[in-house]
Amino acid sequence: MINMIKADFFRILKGKAIYMIFLVVIILGIVSAVGISAGHIGISTSSNIDVNDAEFMKKLSAAKTLKDVRNVMKSGGEFPLDKDVIGQNINLYYLFIVVVVIILCVDFSNKSIKNTLSSAITRKKYYYFKTITIFAICTVLVLFNTYFFYFLNILINGKGFSSSLLDVTKLTIIQLPLIYGIISLLICFVFVLKKTSLFNAIAIPFIMAVQLLVIGITSLFRLDASWFYNYEFQFALSKLSSSIDSSYIIKCSLLGLFYIVLFNVIGYYSFKNTEIK
Amino acid sequence: MKNVVLRTNNLTKKYKDFVALNNINITINKGDIYGLIGKNGAGKTTLMKVITTLTKKTSGEFLLLGKTDDDLTLIKGRVGCLIENASFFPNLTAYDNLKYYAIQKGIVDVNQIDEVLNLVELSDEKHKKFKTFSLGMKQRLGIAYAILDNPDFIILDEPINGLDPIGISNLRDIFKRLNEEKNITILISSHILSELYMVANRFCFLEKGRVIKELTKSELDLECSKCLVIRTDDVKAACVVLERDLKTDNYKVISDNEIRLYDYLEHTDKVNKALIKKDINVMGLYETGITLEDYFKDLIKEVKCND
Repeated sequence: MINMIKADFFRILKGKAIYMIFLVVIILGIVSAVGISAGHIGISTSSNIDVNDAEFMKKLSAAKTLKDVRNVMKSGGEFPLDKDVIGQNINLYYLFIVVVVIILCVDFSNKSIKNTLSSAITRKKYYYFKTITIFAICTVLVLFNTYFFYFLNILINGKGFSSSLLDVTKLTIIQLPLIYGIISLLICFVFVLKKTSLFNAIAIPFIMAVQLLVIGITSLFRLDASWFYNYEFQFALSKLSSSIDSSYIIKCSLLGLFYIVLFNVIGYYSFKNTEIK
Repeated sequence: MKNVVLRTNNLTKKYKDFVALNNINITINKGDIYGLIGKNGAGKTTLMKVITTLTKKTSGEFLLLGKTDDDLTLIKGRVGCLIENASFFPNLTAYDNLKYYAIQKGIVDVNQIDEVLNLVELSDEKHKKFKTFSLGMKQRLGIAYAILDNPDFIILDEPINGLDPIGISNLRDIFKRLNEEKNITILISSHILSELYMVANRFCFLEKGRVIKELTKSELDLECSKCLVIRTDDVKAACVVLERDLKTDNYKVISDNEIRLYDYLEHTDKVNKALIKKDINVMGLYETGITLEDYFKDLIKEVKCND
């Protein structure tokens, strides 16, 4: 039933959203390459910036333009900026939300899902092929982000701020199980909530809210939060880009697989028993 | 033996304590235009949703195009549907919306899209976005989608809702053409009996999730035509009188105490005399003839009384 995937590609290529997603990746890449620092959301920082270096941080915070930031970063010496950018792949979470919305949510919000389920395919196949389509587009997005930045970085900053093509490929691949776990969570949200507005209200603040909640609880009760820092989505993706510890990579991969299975099982069973309105 | 397209067997759907469908047993044969009539909330849409797997049945079973309800994968493409309102992607044009579904269904010949758009008279508007369509145009596009894959059976849930009289008339012609020219079996619902009457050849009346009457068009005509209602406690003897003394067999036994006589409309006294002469207790004798809407109302009243 590859036809369903082809149909979705036909539809999304007719819209603007898919092009906007790639445009955002391009803009983020250009800003990161020119500023020699990976932009990020949430509470992680670049592994190559020493936040304890007061003088350096003072200079960085005093920088008013992208050019100033670039000069400060250059003065700190060379480092593999492309690895930093891969470490901040959680940024793509917000673009994954857009992918999920244009592939899946619109079907629920326009009620066009009724057409597909009533006279084309079964719910099982619908779930399966929608998930594959989302995974495929998000994979292309992750790879585009990696390779576009890799070559742009070499072009703008030279080899000194770059690692090897094999290294960035490896780092991207080891992040994929966790990334698929995050995407599975988003897919699960759609099939459980079935409304775009509800999905957006929960999915958009989710990553930040979980971080704040866990940090709040661990601070309040003075708990050891290292388990959380190690396996929370954002920290794990960041750490995977700099970690060479194979046991940590395996643990994260298993965690990603666990999320994929868990969220897809919940999503599918919720969808299987739901009434399409 | 007639070729059965859909047969339901005690099909039931419950929403917690509310019974939306209560042991529905209907049969739709190939070539039928089967009208499903009921008030709002009677269970028409729920029945269609169960058949199209948009909702799960609670119990019972159905056979659709020879396949049981747990084995519909292979025949999904042979069924076209328009459930409730036409739902499409608002930012795509009519043509692109149909192309999306054509790709999804594996239809290679894109000329089919133009064909169905032509059939529903949307060819001139095919490059307009769906969000700019009027209600009538949306419904017609919904029907175009339903017939896109040359289905054997189409299910249309209140397709004439919100249409103007000309739009309704056009749709009626389309349904008849699809049925006659392409031999498509149609299940169509409405709460407007007079509209369904003009298109369907079989009717099913639903009320409170139950089938209260299933009849053919000629039977419906008979039910609604002018007649004498004879109420008696001895129907058998009354029939003998009608056949032997009044020389007519143009009557119908409606129940244990009611006969409808379609002759002697101007001679009620003759009928009365003939019955009394044979000592038959005549509890009522009156002329009746009802409109389709009144017939529908009476049926619903009967259900309420029986409840």
